[in-house]
Amino acid sequence: MAFSSHIFLFYFLPVLLALYHVLPARWLAARNVLLLVAGYVFYAWIDPRLTLLLFGLTVVNYVLSRLIAGSSTRRVQSLMTAGAIALDLAVLGIFKYTAFLGDSLNSLLRFAGRDTLPILRIVLPVGISFYTFKVISYIVDVYRGRSPAARSLLDFACYVSFFPQLLSGPIQRFGTIDAKGEIVPTFADQLRTRWWTPNTFSHGVALFMLGFAKKILLADGVAQVADAVFTAASPGTLDAWFGALAYSFQLYFDFSAYSEMAIGLGLMFGFECARNFDAPYRAEGFGDFWRRWHISLSGWLRDYLYIPLGGNRAGTGRTYLNLMIVFLLCGLWHGAGWTFIVWGAWHGAWLVIERLFGRKPFYAFLPSPVRVLVTFLLITVGWVIFRTPDLAEAGRMLAIMFVPQSAQGGSALLSAVIYTRGHLIVMALCAVLVFQPLQGCDWTGRFHWAKVPVLVVLFALALMTMFAQSFRSFLYFQF
Amino acid sequence: MAARRSPCICLSVVFLAMIAVVAVSQIIVEWRQGDSPQIAELFRQKPTRANLRRLESSLESGCRIGQTVRPWMQFARFVLLEDAGDNAILGRDGWFFYRPAVQYLIEPWSPEGGQTQGNVFDAIISFRDDLAKRGIQLLVMPAPNKASVYPEMLTGRTRKETGSVNASTREILVRLKQEGVEILDLFEVYDRAKRVAGSPACYLAQDSHWSPEGMRLAAEAVANRLLDLGWIEKRATKYETRSAPVERHGDVLRMMRVPQVERLFEPQGMDCTQVVDAETGQLYADDPNSPVLVLGDSFLRIFERDEPGSGGFVAHLASNLGFGLSSIVSDGGASTLVRQQLARKPALLKDKRVVVWEFVERDLRFGTEGWQRVPLPAPDGSG
Repeated sequence: MAFSSHIFLFYFLPVLLALYHVLPARWLAARNVLLLVAGYVFYAWIDPRLTLLLFGLTVVNYVLSRLIAGSSTRRVQSLMTAGAIALDLAVLGIFKYTAFLGDSLNSLLRFAGRDTLPILRIVLPVGISFYTFKVISYIVDVYRGRSPAARSLLDFACYVSFFPQLLSGPIQRFGTIDAKGEIVPTFADQLRTRWWTPNTFSHGVALFMLGFAKKILLADGVAQVADAVFTAASPGTLDAWFGALAYSFQLYFDFSAYSEMAIGLGLMFGFECARNFDAPYRAEGFGDFWRRWHISLSGWLRDYLYIPLGGNRAGTGRTYLNLMIVFLLCGLWHGAGWTFIVWGAWHGAWLVIERLFGRKPFYAFLPSPVRVLVTFLLITVGWVIFRTPDLAEAGRMLAIMFVPQSAQGGSALLSAVIYTRGHLIVMALCAVLVFQPLQGCDWTGRFHWAKVPVLVVLFALALMTMFAQSFRSFLYFQF
Repeated sequence: MAARRSPCICLSVVFLAMIAVVAVSQIIVEWRQGDSPQIAELFRQKPTRANLRRLESSLESGCRIGQTVRPWMQFARFVLLEDAGDNAILGRDGWFFYRPAVQYLIEPWSPEGGQTQGNVFDAIISFRDDLAKRGIQLLVMPAPNKASVYPEMLTGRTRKETGSVNASTREILVRLKQEGVEILDLFEVYDRAKRVAGSPACYLAQDSHWSPEGMRLAAEAVANRLLDLGWIEKRATKYETRSAPVERHGDVLRMMRVPQVERLFEPQGMDCTQVVDAETGQLYADDPNSPVLVLGDSFLRIFERDEPGSGGFVAHLASNLGFGLSSIVSDGGASTLVRQQLARKPALLKDKRVVVWEFVERDLRFGTEGWQRVPLPAPDGSG
């Protein structure tokens, strides 16, 4: 179920809110059970069979976490932690990477003139990348002794299946918080104690309304431009840049909208979650960008991958290698394809270059607005690689962007599709909004009367637009 | 604190009302109509993925508030943003284009790319060969996309372009010709017609189909080709044409399903001509015993089965050839469905000498059921 779908907005959410708030606040366990059931219904709506996988992963990790916490031998704890992580990664690998590995192997076999192998194509369960990372962070935190094991299967199952975060994050941790992120109570604490006030509820409502408006009015609008350009046979240079910018805007507005809606929904049920975006396109370098973009993922990669690899403690060369490993895996996490790996390498390489220049971009001497612009353009180039179906297509698109040419053949008709009045207005709005510092979390946090009509009008406009256009899923569902 | 609490409560109440009103009003309307609420289907059927998608889709399409809001919102988007919706693109000077047809021209596509079911070459060549076994000749006539003929009415940018906007189609036609398939190239016919100053447009401004003029040119070109090839001789039945002007909104405009937008545009006037038998004065009607069978899609339906009737391609081709024709028309199904209909009724091929097969250019990629091979039963009935 997507947050912007008819069934979620008009049936699932009102019914769940009513049931949840009818239960007395002191019946916290009953409310948690309701959220657990809601999470499974929410997930089953995509495909009921997927709940078996979710349930299986939950039970196995819960049992292993209890064993890890209960074991007095460090060696046994280590073995069980490694086993749990291996199992979680195996599940992720089987569902997400089998076809990719098979295709890559077959390419090698073809190159060597050998017969290719049959490939098992498995449907990717939506959200698997997110909830496997959630359970891995939990297992590692229990092993490190930073988080107690979940007191009950209900608590842990409620954490894993918490519907606002189930499909596309944020990747909130169970018993710890990201030390460099916003300070909020841990999820485990919130399962036991959470305060609900009209103000927190309305903050959640405001965030949800704003996120919904961003998704429908901005992200879905620029998505039409990006889709048209990236599927065109021979767009011109101007078209290619217009499409690349549209995709940069789409990714940000789509994913940040989802995160805001998820955080807003959590607040409606009394759960707090740290922000996941902080004006990422205002970043002045790649390091800065990753402190602002998908903050829960970059924090996860830092705490559960980069630091265990040695971080920056094992010498300069090893730091660079660690950065490259982390970002290659970050790319692979986003999708099973060479374009994602190259995108990860693009980011890793720029981060290494920043380290070479003393944790500053090589263009640090430029004025701040120019640094922001250069970083944004370099990130946009990365998104082109991210968006294209294969490396050949990525190379072709980048060549069009950097070697001036006009649209050829039928692609000359693109201009009628992308440079419409509506698209120009939405692109201009996006261009203004991505570079302004105020974020949804801040704007809705300081609430007063003047914001009520703004939010209501935006939400109503988005609802009416939703009725008038075909449904477009969230981009990050595919990851 | 109280002052800050009031806007919070107000916003929450408005939000809850906005998300609750859709389902509540829907259930009330359904009850008042004596129907059980559609959402109750959730508990009546097995919750499989397919059933859930079906329910979700029917809840969306059946939503009364959505049905009320949708046209007004689309109207506002059209007026303010020039957004003509999922199926249409607004061109210049009030011309509308069918979006999938434009998409066909913009996106890279190859008949060998596995994007369609079956293969266009196999389907056409095997059909030609099956007909040949019965002694029947095949003439293939792709009807150009409107944007292939009038790209400049979609965007001024094509004026500067040198390349053809439909290179894929042209490559397919060249290859079919190399394979010995007889093709009537309407692109050339319309290109010539466009160069004649002051000549009427070959396509309708608000429609995806040809204009009466474009249709007459096609009928004339096919008749001339059949006669030139010697596949058929002109016969003596005298037909006359009589003027039957028609006014209506075009199909692309109507696809928007927004009456408010339709009211912004005058219905397009069409200078149609009906074909009548000169002796009896009867409107043209198909002749099942004709030596010529015409297969095609909505390009054959327009003016022939639609208003004014007996004024479309088949009637005008008959007029040019001097005898009545047989026809099978399948809207949007000229790639495969029309041949499947023929395969089910092979008697329609009895005494035929020529089959004329029209399909719209975009169906090379988007044809319903793709380009399946549809073997015709063997001529002796053994197959």
